[in-house]
Order: sequence, then structure tokens, then C-alpha cells
Amino acid sequence: MQWACISFPQLALDDVLRRRSDAPAPLVLFEGAGSRARVYAANTAARHHGLSAGQSLTAARALYPRVNAVEYDAAAVERCHDFLAAWAYRYSSQVCRTFPQALLLEVRASFRLFGGWAALHAELRRDLVALGFEHRIAAAPNPHAALVLARARDGCAIEDEAHLLDALGMLPVQRSGLGAVCAESLQRMGLRRLHQLFVLPRAELGKRIGAQALLHLDHLRGAASTALDCYQPPDVFDQRIELPFNTVSHESLLFPLRRLLGDFSAFLAGRDSGAQRFTLAFEHERGVPTEISVGLLAPERDPELLFAIARARLDRTRLREPVCGLRLVSDELPPFTPARRDLFDTRPQRAVTWDALRERLRARLGEHAVHGLALHPEHRPERAWRVENPSRGTRHFRGVDESLPPRPTWLLARPIPLRERVARVLAGPERIESGWWDGADMRRDYYVVETASHQRAWAFRPAGEGGPFMLQGWFA
Amino acid sequence: MNVFHIPVAGSRPIPGRDDGLPGYAELHCLSAFSFQRGASVAQELFERAAKLKYAALAITDEASLAGIVRALEASRKTNLRLIVGSEVQLDDGPKLVLLAETASGYTRLCQLLTLARRRAGKGAYRLLRDDFAGAANDGLLALWIPNASPDTTEGAWVRRMFPERAWLAVELHRGPDDAARLARLRAIGAELGMPLVASGDVHMHVRGRRALQDTLTAIRHGTTVDEAGFKLFPNGERHLRTRRALAAIYPADLLQETLRIAARCTFSLEELRYEYPHELVPRGRTAASWLRELTEAGARKRWPGGVPAKARTLIEHELALISELHYESYFLTVHDLVRFAREKKILCQGRGSAANSAVCYALGVTEIDPARMHMLFERFVSRERNEPPDIDIDFEHERREEVIQYVFRRYGRERAALTAVASTYRGRGAMRDVAKALGLPPDMVDRLARCMDHWGGTQGLDEVLRERGFDPDAPLLRRVIALTTQLIGMPRHLSQHPGGFVMSEHPLSTLVPVENAAMEGRTVIQWDKDDLDVLGLLKVDCLALGMLTAIRKTFDLLRASGRRDMALADIPAEDPAVYDMVGRADTIGVFQIESRAQMAMLPRLRPKCFYDLVIEVAIVRPGPIQGDMVHPYLRRRRGEEPVDYPSPQLQAVLERTLGVPLFQEQVMQIAIVAAGYTPGEADQLRRSMAAWKRHGGLEPHRERLARGMLANGYSQAFADHLFEQIKGFGSYGFPESHAASFALVTYTSCWLKRHEPAAFTCGLINSAPMGFYSPDQLLQDARRHGIRVLPVDVRHSVWDCVPEMPRGAPQPAIRLGLRMIRGFPEGAANDIASQRARQPFHDVTDLCVRADLDARQRALLADAGALRGLAGHRHRARWRIAGVESPTPLFADAPAVAEVDVALPLPTRAEDVRADYALTGTTLGPHPLSFLRTLLVRRRCRRSAELKRCGNGAQVRTAGLVTLRQRPQTASGVIFMTLEDEDGMTNVVVWNDLAQRQRRELLESRLLAVEGKLESRHGVQHLIAERLQDWTALLGELDTRSRDFH
Repeated sequence: MQWACISFPQLALDDVLRRRSDAPAPLVLFEGAGSRARVYAANTAARHHGLSAGQSLTAARALYPRVNAVEYDAAAVERCHDFLAAWAYRYSSQVCRTFPQALLLEVRASFRLFGGWAALHAELRRDLVALGFEHRIAAAPNPHAALVLARARDGCAIEDEAHLLDALGMLPVQRSGLGAVCAESLQRMGLRRLHQLFVLPRAELGKRIGAQALLHLDHLRGAASTALDCYQPPDVFDQRIELPFNTVSHESLLFPLRRLLGDFSAFLAGRDSGAQRFTLAFEHERGVPTEISVGLLAPERDPELLFAIARARLDRTRLREPVCGLRLVSDELPPFTPARRDLFDTRPQRAVTWDALRERLRARLGEHAVHGLALHPEHRPERAWRVENPSRGTRHFRGVDESLPPRPTWLLARPIPLRERVARVLAGPERIESGWWDGADMRRDYYVVETASHQRAWAFRPAGEGGPFMLQGWFA
Repeated sequence: MNVFHIPVAGSRPIPGRDDGLPGYAELHCLSAFSFQRGASVAQELFERAAKLKYAALAITDEASLAGIVRALEASRKTNLRLIVGSEVQLDDGPKLVLLAETASGYTRLCQLLTLARRRAGKGAYRLLRDDFAGAANDGLLALWIPNASPDTTEGAWVRRMFPERAWLAVELHRGPDDAARLARLRAIGAELGMPLVASGDVHMHVRGRRALQDTLTAIRHGTTVDEAGFKLFPNGERHLRTRRALAAIYPADLLQETLRIAARCTFSLEELRYEYPHELVPRGRTAASWLRELTEAGARKRWPGGVPAKARTLIEHELALISELHYESYFLTVHDLVRFAREKKILCQGRGSAANSAVCYALGVTEIDPARMHMLFERFVSRERNEPPDIDIDFEHERREEVIQYVFRRYGRERAALTAVASTYRGRGAMRDVAKALGLPPDMVDRLARCMDHWGGTQGLDEVLRERGFDPDAPLLRRVIALTTQLIGMPRHLSQHPGGFVMSEHPLSTLVPVENAAMEGRTVIQWDKDDLDVLGLLKVDCLALGMLTAIRKTFDLLRASGRRDMALADIPAEDPAVYDMVGRADTIGVFQIESRAQMAMLPRLRPKCFYDLVIEVAIVRPGPIQGDMVHPYLRRRRGEEPVDYPSPQLQAVLERTLGVPLFQEQVMQIAIVAAGYTPGEADQLRRSMAAWKRHGGLEPHRERLARGMLANGYSQAFADHLFEQIKGFGSYGFPESHAASFALVTYTSCWLKRHEPAAFTCGLINSAPMGFYSPDQLLQDARRHGIRVLPVDVRHSVWDCVPEMPRGAPQPAIRLGLRMIRGFPEGAANDIASQRARQPFHDVTDLCVRADLDARQRALLADAGALRGLAGHRHRARWRIAGVESPTPLFADAPAVAEVDVALPLPTRAEDVRADYALTGTTLGPHPLSFLRTLLVRRRCRRSAELKRCGNGAQVRTAGLVTLRQRPQTASGVIFMTLEDEDGMTNVVVWNDLAQRQRRELLESRLLAVEGKLESRHGVQHLIAERLQDWTALLGELDTRSRDFH
């Protein structure tokens, strides 16, 4: 067996940087909140300004006030690691992602397919550069040695045991994969490199560093072997990109979109499948995301094709609010068979479901022609209800909440003058004064009135004033 | 006594009749002390209510009387009657407004609130129906506040609990259908036989506070105003509405009812009677006779040769005054605390005006001999001022908790509690909360909040924001600014005073609600210090002072090592050797005068006597510095400027400070003597001085002072000058009475440093963390004074650092204690010491086994070099210690299995120093810079000792470890740094523009090179930096730590 290890020295950082078009600008990841926030990682530009991991965020900002600070997201890094494992799966059927920030691949079995280590090595690096991940790669006869060497000596490839021992001997104790405490302890005994350990009497050394560490040293030298958990690719692709800025411009969404579809394509290639249907969600600061569901006639995985389709759909979509994040979900991933395009492909007309009908209506009439309704807790009537995205499934009316004030079922989008004569006032004035914070402060006295034609209307006047009524809505 | 005595209902004309509108009394009104609910302070509410000609105003903060004293003050000022009450939401029942009809009702209210508060965590309360059933609710009126769909069973319960004293509150706020609501409540009232009354559920004084009230709501719920939804009120009707508006909303009978209730509530806070605990007086004696007895006994001890005539006169004068003002119990309480501390061998000292009295000297509260400090006694307890006596007692910081728990034990939880501090919104917090509530993103909130640090003084907020890249004219920011400005100064929450105690003969909960503090085992009353002053309650401050711990530990060490047996009182007074040392600014480690600014002042002021120390303590403070008092004083002291006085009357006030007012007391006295203030008014001035930065309010004094002074023949220029000085004083003016007590601690610590440096250094390190300097700096200073320092060694060290007497040495050496090893536990250290006392350790295994050390402790000992005597160098020690196995009981006596010997590399000297710093924060080896000296010489850096010999204006370059960075409040943008090398310290001044240009070097360097110009004056030397270079890389991994910007 021959194991390759790919180590990702700044996985968390890359996960953020690769989605940003302004990647070269100084950026730090931070952990913790308020005054306890500390820098978790800093990119090259930030390090150039003296920012570094472990600093307090306050100190980092003192050094470079305009630094981009993004909160470290452990779950996102896990997802990213998963994605890389899915990608690596195309190069080996034995992929192990047990170790943090690293992947192990059994490569000897793949040599024939890819044309030897040199060619495979080059291909791995080319992919990773394209995907945007910093990486270090090493190969060794056992996975533990590969892991340690990848982290310490990028590019090194060792084929036999004798060379392995030499290479390991030169490794500093702190970079040998022994726990930090153990390495520190050895350091304090004046023991700095592994070859110093290899010559010590085994019993005395074991007494001091423990059986676990001794076993690790054996593992490194290939003297003991372990079984590794192999990675199984998942059946769902779900990835999201948070944008560093809010935008409504389609143009500026193309970069993250291309990145996302590129990852999707890499994922599909890794498990040798294609996409039948996927959903793109454009997330907003508040409210529900704008979703585009893309169905394909046949499974596809070519990134350019996927991008072209998604882009076309995006161009037809009007984004009502700035987008702050992008998410791609797909769980229909049938095996990929290269397309046999039939010029006169006539698919049988199937009976359409409600969802499909809705989709079709929206496609015909436009995204916004069909929508649901939702209550929104707000005193200002215009904002007390909202248009809801119907694709989130129909929710049923749950009856009236007793604590809410009585409101007409039909609220006008914008109040208009009440033309009809008011026969009598049934209730009111109900005063509503609210909304100073968004520049649309409102001060009105609302009345339930009965019009001359016996309709019940909800109408208002400016607070504390008389005069003509404005119509806000009708009671059923 | 009852200034606002209310005549029986009916005899008083209902105000406002003349304008044809119905009278009204607001019975349900929250002030800002319903935290994050009420959006107006009591003063605003009362001013508005008085303007609207309300008959009375009830302040009914939620489960709290924390704002009631402020309401009382506002009520006095506006001449509008206050009704005391509280709004409560029962856990299992209705929401009520409780109003105190009589004094017994007030007491019941305090009990209920105490019960509810003590049962819940800090800031919360839990009130239950059963609580009302427990005792009669006489004297307490209840308004039932029904919710949207009223539950008549609740109403029936209220009526049962408060027969003939319950009302159904009708609160109409222009809701969806007020008419229907009123009709429904009328029906319920009729059904229950409960009268209806109008009330306002007032949350703000005017409608204009709606935005702030919404913001507070969002803050309370931890959300933004945009997302708060129905948590916000639908409109701004919950303000003090005009009677015209009320008349339009409420039927006349409901308004009339408010007046009936108001007339029934005759209780006034002025009726409260507070009594000091009685039990300190033995049976058969009066408080006065017992105080005299104790004083006489103390005086005999103080003056064994007989009380001098002057002291006798003072004592008689003071006792007469104490007796006249009935303060005996207060002095007895203070004496009791001091007695307890003395019994427990806890060092303590009183300070404050009343502490510096002959009586307190006799009682042992202070060690300041009146003979030494005669001028201080003018401000003892003044008859005219009716000001409560002011005594703070400082205790050793490590043992103050014992004193606090003693107080709780002695008087019981019922009768003793800490006072509260009403924390108010300051700039930064207000900005942060407002910006968050308005939905700004977190990093912008941070940046905005930081802006507030630069605000104040001359720069307007707009300007500050603009400088930091914000556009203050943007609508969103305009809102943020407006709301922040409104919020600043409003109360935010109650917290506990660091040590202010209130004790009472009767349970405190009959006077004021008591609640739980955040700290376990502490209870707090709902009033703060100012509230207590208004109501004449007395408090004793038990504060913590680290230096007292260090001094006591030094005394203990001196006694244990057989060098001296002394106490505070035995320190010889006015020792010239001590003043010589102080004059050289050789004061690292001593109390108060060790800071850089103090050390820069000492050679200029050259204290020669105790009073000079009092001045020294008070003068290096922002107050005198901003008031521009320092330089005139120094010039006069040096004889460069004639000492003159504006008038013979003021000469008496200012003579001791050469005509320059330096102390708070002097400013007050100038106002009295020159401007005709009464002592009470002068006290007002003092309070305004403390508060003007936040609230303004000094301008009326400018006029008064000028008018008074002109009338007394002083010039306008003098009046203006004095006013500017007062403004400069701000909140930082230091009282002479406190300075005097501090100076005594300063003198004591200086005396110990001068005569017992080894023990004193040990005492300081053993009390760490405290003071200005790290143990490393203290030890380096000791070594520069020729004291030997011996390393941590398991064969000799105990937990503490102790003086060790080598043969023939005049001063003991310092043996570093195991406490120097970072992270080493005290228990393990004591085990080592006790096992060693039984029998010395013969090797590492013996040590580990007998002292039962775990792996971490062993490693620490090895790395710290504490095993050198048992195992050799660090690497060997570490190897050995890692090989020690815990013995199995069966083979406890069997010899250890022989190990193969291994060869390990020897640590280098630099590695040793590095390990020393990492483990113990200090090194006994060469100073780290000495390893670099050859290199530094090549780079043309001078040593700090050489700098001392360079003349004023010399252009030099030096390098050193950065031990301190400081940005004094008083100096705009200047940063002071201290560099340390093998000779000592160099003071560096970095002006603002350089600091901006070389930010990184300034903030990051641990080893810093500075080029610049030397400035020497009056024996003080500064290096004015012109260029900084970060040479930290030269240090390798050396762990040096600077104390930054504290």
C-alpha cells in the first residue's frame, strides 16, 4: 500500500476566502464574542499587517482597522471537509477523513488508472488550485507517516521503509504528531528530534511518554498497523456560501454561483453521478429566501452547462431584496450516463401535481404572480402582513389569535381615500403610532366604520385630527 | 417634620378647578427605575405632572422602590405630592399596583417586595398570592390591572385581600375599542362591587419619549425595534396626558376617584424613622456613656503619659457634637468592626472626615495622631451641615470577606445589608445598546461604541463620529445619536456597592426592600448612597485595600524571622531616611506614590514631612492637573513665585497648600468663606462637581459664586479663575481626609521599603496581584538595592516568598516561594513543606511520593528549576520526574527498579532564562537583555544607566523590554511607556502623531528600540521618542509581559 496525505493548513480560512471575490484583502476569522473575541486565523494580507491567530480581535483591529472579520464557523469547516472527501473519492476508493484538516488516500490501486504517482500528484494539485484550497501533499508507505510528513515536508514521497526512517528521524518532536503535552514534555528534556527518541531505551521512554505515544512512534515507522475508517460519499449535496456583501446585482452573484456549481460538479464527479434537479436559494438578511428550482431533462454534471442553465434562470428572477447568501441543495442524484441527445425528444405528458402547476404558473406569469400570505407582528397595518413564498408548502390558517387586535381580512396594499359616505363609526379611534426607526413613522387614528352601503371598512385619519377618512381595508 | 403633610380628604381644594377641567392624580406611573421600561426619570415626570396641575403623582416602579428617593426629591422641588407605590405581577395571579396609604402600609409593601425579591435571582422577583394572605395588608391600597380579557376570579381575590381598599383600574390608551373595554370593566366592577378608577400606566413623561421607550423595550427583550413587533406599545399614549385629553377619554367619576385615592394616601417617606442598632451598648449604660468609656480607655492607651491638653479639648468637643447629633451608635458600630478586625489580626484603617478625629484615634479606627495632623479636624462632623459622618474603613483585601460575613452574623440578614449602586448608562454602553436595538451589525456596534471613549470634553459627538468614518447626518445615525444622548445617565440596573453597609435596629425590610446580590451570600437594599443621605440613613464602608495585606504580611514575616515585632502604630514617625528615599523617587512597590506620574512628581516636590506626603497623594490626580493647580503649587514651593492669598479669610483656608486649592474640602470652604455659601450649599457644590460631566448643572454655581465673591470684595477675574479650577476638579478632586489616611499607609510602606526591603518585597509578592509592578520588577528592584534573591528550591522553599538569613549579611536574602511557579497549587506547596519538615527529601521519587505530587505539579517543579538540588539541570529533572511511578502499597519499601541511564543535552543559559520567565515570570540569571548587549552595543544602543548620565537634549538610542504602556486620561493622545534593561527603567513619551504612524511598533513590540531626545528637568528624565523599532524577534520565545492601558 502507498498512502497519500493531503493536508489543508488553512481549511477554515480557505473555506471563506474561496467564496469571496475580494479574497486578497486582509481578512481574519475570529472566535468568541465581544471583548473575548480572538483571531482564529488570518490570511496572508492580514498577516502582512501584523495580524495573527490568537490575538484578540480588538488588538487586530487596532493594528488594521479596516480588516474584514468573519466569524469562525466550525460546522462550515466540517461541511467543507466533507466536500473535499467527496471530491477525493474520484481518485481512490479508500479515502479517510478521520484526521482534522487532512485527507488520506490509498493511491497504489489508482496508479494504473492515473499513470503513476507523479501524474496523480500533479492532478490532485491542479484540482485543489482550481477549487481554491491551500494544500500540502506527501506520500509514504503508511498513512500515519504520510500524515506527519505532509504537514512537515510538503511534496515528499517516500517509497520504502529505509528512507522512511531517515525522513522521520529528522522531524522535530513538535511536528511528529505526538500530542502537544507529550511533545512539550520531550522538548523540556532536551529531546528535539525524533531520531533522539528512536535511540532511547524503549521501556524507559515508554514509562515517560505513555503507551499511546509509543504506539504512535511505532505506527510512524510502520511497525504497527491500524484500520482506518473509510469515507462513504453522501446522497445529498447541500452547500451554502455566505456573501461578504449584500447585493441585488446579478452580476456580482455570478462569481459565487460559479463557485458553488463548480463544487457541485466536483462532488458529482466524485461519486460518478449527475444532477436531475437542484434548488438554488438566494438568502436575504430577513424574510424567506428567493428560491429557484432547476429541473433537468436528464442528469447533468458539466459545470459550464449547469452554470449556463442556472444563470438563465437567475436572469429571469427579480431579487426583491439584497442577497446575503447562496445555497445549493440537491438530493436527486441518479447515476450519470453521458447524454444521448435526441433532437426530437418528446416526453410523455404527465399529470401535473399541485406543486408542478404552481411552478408552471410562476414560470408563465412570473415569480411574483403567485404568492401566499403570512401575518407579521407589526403595529403598522401595511407591514402587518407579508407575501410569502408559496414554494415553502401551503400552511393552513390556524384561526385568530385572541390577543391580536381585530383586523380586516382584506388589507389594501396602500391606503386610498374612502369614497363612500360614512354612515356611522362602530369603534375607535384606535391610535397607532409606530415605525419611527425606519423613517416611515406613522401616527394615525383608526376607526371601524359602516359605509352608506352597509359595508364595514377599516379607515383612518391623522392622529388627533378630523377630516376625510383613508381606507385601509374591508371586513368580510 | 412632615413637610408635605396632607390634610384629610375633602379639606383640600382640588387643584385645577379654576380652569374648568377635572382634577387628576396619576396612580400608576413607572420611572426609569423600572429598568428598560420607564423612559423618563422622576424629575421629568414630576415637572410635567406639576405643569399639568395634577393633584399628585404616584411612582410605582415594578417591584422596586429603588427610584423612590429620587422621586421624593423631585416631589420636593416641584411641590407636587408623591404617592409611594409599586407595580407587581403575581406569578399566579393578577397584576396589581400597590399604594402606601399609611406608614404601616409602606412597611408591608417593603416586606412584600423583599419576600418577592429574596426568592428570585438578582434582578428578578417572584410574588405569589399566598404572600398576601400571610399578614394583614392594612394601609396598603390595591389597583387591579386586568389584562385584555379580564378574569373576574382574580378581581374577587383582590377584593378579598384588600377589603374596602381595592379598585379596578381602567387604563384606556386609544386601543381598538376603548368604549367596549370601558363598558366591560364597568360591568365587572358592578358584579364584584369594586369601584373603578382611571389610571395611566405611564411609561414616559411626554409622547416624545416614544422612540426611547420602544428602544428600551427592544433592549429588554434582546431584539431590535424592527423585530420587536407586538412587544412594542402600539402608540405613545402611555405618557402623562393633559387633563383635557383625559377628560375626553375617561368619564368624570373615574377621574374623581383618583383624587379620593390620592387623598387617602397620606404616607410620606419623611415619616420614616431609622434607628441604629442598640446591642452594641452593654446593659445599664447609654450609648453616650459607653462611647465615652471606650474613648477614655483608648486615650489612656494612646497617651500613656496622660492625654495632652489639646487632644483633651478635641475629644470633649467631638463627644459633645456626637452626642448632640445622636451619632454615638454610628461610632460604636465602627469601633465594633475595628475591634473585630483587630481580634482576627486583620489590618484595617479608617478614613474620611470623621475618621480623622481624636475620638477615632482613641478608638483605634485610625493611626493618625492628631498632633501630627492638626489641621484636618476642622471638617470633622459639622453641626450646621447636618451631614452624616463619613467613615470608610479599609481592610486587608484578602480578608475583607471575613469582616462582611461578621457584619451579617452580628446583626443578622434581616438587619444588615449592602447598599446598592444604581448603575447608569454611560456613553459606551448607551451607544452599544441603542445601536444594537436599531439593528446595526455587530462590528459597527463595536466601532460606534468605541467612538464614545473619545467623546466628552471639547469635541462634539458628531465630530468624533465623523473622524472615525461615520456620517452623523445619515438618518439612521441621527436616530442613534439622539437616542443615545437621551439614554445616557438613565439608570440601567442595580448592583452592589463594594462595601457600603447599612445596619438597623429594626429589620431593614420595614424601611426598604432588600434583594439578592449577584454574589452568593450577599443581600442589597434598593437604595444607593445618595438615597441614604437624603433620608439620613447611616452607612459604613468596608473597603478592600491590597497594601494593608502586604503590610500585615511583612509584619508577620518580620516577627517570624525574629527581626522585629511591630504594628502600624510602632512605625517611627518622620524618619528623614524615608523622605530621602522618597525624594529620589526610589518608590517601586510602595503605596500610591509608585506610579510613573507619581515618581515623576516626587523629585520636584521632595516631600520632607508627613503633610507633604498627604499633598503628594492628592496632587497627582486628574482633578488638580486639569484644574491647573500643580504647577503654581510647585513654583511656590520652590520659591519661584510669591505665596499670596486673595484675602486674610482665605489665607486660613489655603495656607497649608501655599495659596493653591488642592483638596476638595478647600474648594468647599472657599465657597463658604468667600462666596457666602452655607455649608449645605457647599455640599451641593461638591455633588455638582462630581456630576457635571454627565449632567452639567455647574452653571448656576458660576453665577452664585461670582455674585457672592463680588459682594465680598473679590475680583471677577478671581471668581472666574476659581470656577475654572472647580470645573477642572470635576469628579476627581481628592478629599484631604482620605489623602491623609492614604498617606499614612504610604509612609508605612515607605518605611518598610527603606528599612526592611527584603521582608517588604516578600510581603508585596505574597499579596499579588496588586499595585503597579510585577513580582519580576519588584525582585529586580530589590536586587538593585543589594538584596540577594535565592531560587525556588524544593529543599528550601515554602509557598510564600520569605526572608532568609544568610550568615553575616546585614539584610536577609529573599527565598522565592513555590507560589512563584505559575499554576502551582498552594496545597501541594504546603505538602512539600510539611513533609520536608519531617525529613528532608533524598531524591525525586521520595519527593513525588511523599508530597503526593501529580504529573503536572512534578513537571512544573522540574521546569521551574526547583529540583536542581535533587535531580540536576532542567532536562534531567524533567526526565527523572517523568519516570517516577506511584508506589504500589505492597512494594512500598522495595527499592525502585534500576533504570538505564540516558544522556540528555545540557540546557543553554538562554534556554534557562527563557524557562525561568515562562514558569516563574522572573529570572535570577542575567537579565535577558544582557545576552543581547554585544549586539545592542553594535547597534549603538545605550544602557539605561548611561542615559542617566546624558544631558538634557541629548539625542540617544536605547532598547529595552516594554514593561508598561499607559495612556493617561489627562494627556490627550500621549502614550507613556516604560522600557527595562539590566540597569533599570527608562521612561519613554510617545506623542500622538508618532503613535499613529508607528502603531504596530508601539503596540506589538516586546523588545523595543527607541531613538529620541532626552528631556531632564528637576531630576526627572524622559525620552521623547522620535522613532520606534520592533526588535522583539531578537528575544526568541522569551515570555515577557507588559501591563497595558489599565
